[in-house]
Amino acid sequence: MSHPTPNSILRLYSSMLRTSRSFSSYNFREYFVRRTKSTFREIQAEKDPLRAASLFRKAAEEHTVLKRSALVNQLYGGWRLVVEKQKPVRQRSDS
Amino acid sequence: MLGFKLVMPVREGNLKEKARPIYLDMQATTPMDPRVLDAMLPYYTDQYGNPHSRTHAYGWEAEDAVEVARKHVADLIGADTKDIIFTSGATETNNMAIKGIARFHKDKKRHIITTQTEHKCVLDSCRKLQEEGFDVTYLPVQPNGIISLAELEAAIRPDTSLVSIMTVNNETGVIQPMKEIGAIVRKHRGVYFHTDAAQAVGKIHLDVNDMNVDLMSISGHKLYGPKGVGAAYVRRRPRVRLEPIISGGGQERGLRSGTLPSTLVIGLGEAARIAQQEMTRDHHRISLLSKRLVDGINARVDHVVRNGDPNGYPGCVNLSFSYVEGESLLMALKDIALSSGSACTSASLEPSYVLRALGAAEDMAHSSLRFGIGRFTTEAEIDFVVEKIAATVSKLRDMSPLWEMVQEGIDINAIDWSQSQH
Repeated sequence: MSHPTPNSILRLYSSMLRTSRSFSSYNFREYFVRRTKSTFREIQAEKDPLRAASLFRKAAEEHTVLKRSALVNQLYGGWRLVVEKQKPVRQRSDS
Repeated sequence: MLGFKLVMPVREGNLKEKARPIYLDMQATTPMDPRVLDAMLPYYTDQYGNPHSRTHAYGWEAEDAVEVARKHVADLIGADTKDIIFTSGATETNNMAIKGIARFHKDKKRHIITTQTEHKCVLDSCRKLQEEGFDVTYLPVQPNGIISLAELEAAIRPDTSLVSIMTVNNETGVIQPMKEIGAIVRKHRGVYFHTDAAQAVGKIHLDVNDMNVDLMSISGHKLYGPKGVGAAYVRRRPRVRLEPIISGGGQERGLRSGTLPSTLVIGLGEAARIAQQEMTRDHHRISLLSKRLVDGINARVDHVVRNGDPNGYPGCVNLSFSYVEGESLLMALKDIALSSGSACTSASLEPSYVLRALGAAEDMAHSSLRFGIGRFTTEAEIDFVVEKIAATVSKLRDMSPLWEMVQEGIDINAIDWSQSQH
């Protein structure tokens, strides 16, 4: 496998971030967003191109797992936690 | 139009739209990591073979996956793959280890050593053995929760068959000096060393050879895996022999008969793999959050005592709030899922025996709260908890006559509460 270009790294990063944000459970969402950021910071900081390539491949594998997990989590995701922003209570405009 | 629309299922109770409390009870159980569930789902749907079926592909694929899981668990604790035996959880493993070793060697050896702060299932197994005529020594702990090595060494007798000491305490997070204990036990031939590491595996670095552990208990749902599965490490070289509790088809080296729950085992394996991969990152983060919690509460509330060794596992913080009753604090903190001690005894109002063993006074043991911080805890949650605790404690103290007396400078302990002279 060829070495990842900066562009492909960026593409995977934004895609993984989007997947992480799609978790409906607060704790999982926050965790995977945080983790994705730190993973890609690690790839960016890696000087050795071989190691960077292997880290990139691992991240790409994790992305497929994450996509499926996010789907399952959306299916069964529950209520919001007290620390999250609550859904606004909508009122009738004429009240 | 062809195709389909993804409809979100409306589950019962969804209409209420109630905000859920935040979860801070990671010693009771941890949420299952979504990646673990993803590894398990294929085996709940298409790959349903019995891992012990040797005659067809369904069995082979399940067996292969189970062996991969076994390797992940073994790697996590530095063991050999063949040393790992899957069970239903740490309680079963503890029972298997303690009763199994004691009963196998009962002709020559009739003495067991454990500590006063062990988990209920260890203490209860020992009590059962006492009924069978075994002699059990319950080692006391120092005020910081750690056992005294000299006392351990003095307690070992020629007829001792087993020393069972937990690695990380489930109520206080105290970490016992496993390496030193292992070295002492190893000096005495024929004494086996068992450790209940349910709260430690995947959270702190463990190596069974480094610690000279002969048997270890592992629980799946304490390391972000599924409930209902655990593992036992049983050393093969030098061979540890024990009498199995469950007899049957001879699976798992004959120590634990019965079909393996392959899906759960695969979940445990994946959880172990992730735990190994994330351990450094998790530990660093949990330490930061733990410090944030303790510093935050100490800055806002007076008369808070930290129970147990402050250098223990940072994900378990046990605090006592003087002049406040723990249970009423829990009732007032509806938005936080907490516990005053272990989940097994949370139904009773008795003060925790672990805190009593540490030498905590009865009123302090009654006013304790255990904060469990884990992989998925966030800073926002910690800040929320600090805020709530500070508000609730001061509200409860304002109602308390004891607190009023303390503010006036009366020494509570000097008061004679009995009214016998009247």
